[in-house]
Amino acid sequence: MIEIKNVTKNFDDFKAVNNITLHIREKETFGLVGTNGAGKSTLLRMIADIYKPEQGEIIIDGENIYDNPTMKSNFFFISDEQYYPKNANAKYLIQFYCSYYPGFNKKRCLSLLENFDLNPSKKIDGFSKGMKKQLFMILGICAGTKYLLCDETFDGLDPVIRQTVKSLIANDMMERGLTSVISSHNLRELEDICDCIGLLHKGGVLLSDELNSLKLNLHKVQFILKDNLTAEESASGIPDGVSVVYKEHHGRLITMTLEGNEATIHSWFQSMDIVFYEMIPLTLEEIFISKTREVGYNVKEIIF
Amino acid sequence: MILLDYKDRRPIYEQVTEKFKTLILSGVLKEGDSMPSVRSLATSLSVNPNTIQRAYAKLEQDDFIYTVSGKGSFVSCIDTLMTEQKRDWFHRLDELVKEGSILHISPEEIYEHIKQADHSS
Repeated sequence: MIEIKNVTKNFDDFKAVNNITLHIREKETFGLVGTNGAGKSTLLRMIADIYKPEQGEIIIDGENIYDNPTMKSNFFFISDEQYYPKNANAKYLIQFYCSYYPGFNKKRCLSLLENFDLNPSKKIDGFSKGMKKQLFMILGICAGTKYLLCDETFDGLDPVIRQTVKSLIANDMMERGLTSVISSHNLRELEDICDCIGLLHKGGVLLSDELNSLKLNLHKVQFILKDNLTAEESASGIPDGVSVVYKEHHGRLITMTLEGNEATIHSWFQSMDIVFYEMIPLTLEEIFISKTREVGYNVKEIIF
Repeated sequence: MILLDYKDRRPIYEQVTEKFKTLILSGVLKEGDSMPSVRSLATSLSVNPNTIQRAYAKLEQDDFIYTVSGKGSFVSCIDTLMTEQKRDWFHRLDELVKEGSILHISPEEIYEHIKQADHSS
């Protein structure tokens, strides 16, 4: 379990991560999403002990991660930009990581490289951007660590490779209880593989919840008002536990984003005096948009 | 074995549950047939194994499948389920007929339509 407690990190006067508290459970995949500059990469780098938090602490399996080399062999960090010695090839990197990660599976790694059609003797400098990402993803999976941290790993991979990588993660979750934290802008892909989602914005957490309950709790409803009634007359008395996240008028057609229990919302609309209503669950992308829009009007609250 | 619709807005586990229910009720999967293992299904669909686990738990809760520890999941006897599903279906039909009466659709019109649909299928 990764516990991030009140962590803050500044770069000069820019608050990259501002008092974030998050819990990442074991044997689950945690998706880190957020607006550009929200602090996703900074947070991942702090979990990987590349940056030191200015305030707060990060506890992995009960131990503080900062300056703790034995803990470091428990996770593998795949950074957005790959670092490797000049002139190195994949074989060299395997050797290199073997010395750090006792559980590194060399045999599996070489066979995966072959399946992905990556030549282990060729210089990595000669690889394309996507091939480098593939290589480090394979190295990360084969490192045999309990935790895998991926910074925008899906972004930049082709659809076939993305499916394969997701299958690899699924397999290792089953086989050895792999826990992974994946930051990405590809929300569609995250929906397939994540148990939980954390949404960051301007260094803070907007929400962190199980994907299923998120999807089951937010709904888009479209309804048409009867001729002689206004929205206020028809849509009075919002039931307990339901809140309006967003509302849009187009004459008699009203679109609302609602948060709350599906059955409650249904019975509310059935009781209303309206011509027609339709309710659809939100996609992760729509959740992202509606949640960031919600705070867009009071950005100050997040910063200060 | 099942296909996921990536444009479907429902959570994936709901889709998986529903697809298997259809396969079982339609008799494609018969009583005693073994279900694919969680791992093989998760890797073939490229989805989170916890999602599949959750779908299987739901199927088990709804009596569509049962689990033998160490051996996997198997399709249950669905006779009682079939009766329940039929009852549900007729309930939905009642609602439709009621809606139809608002649109002045007579029972005769409905029979006629069903007969034609039956012929063409």
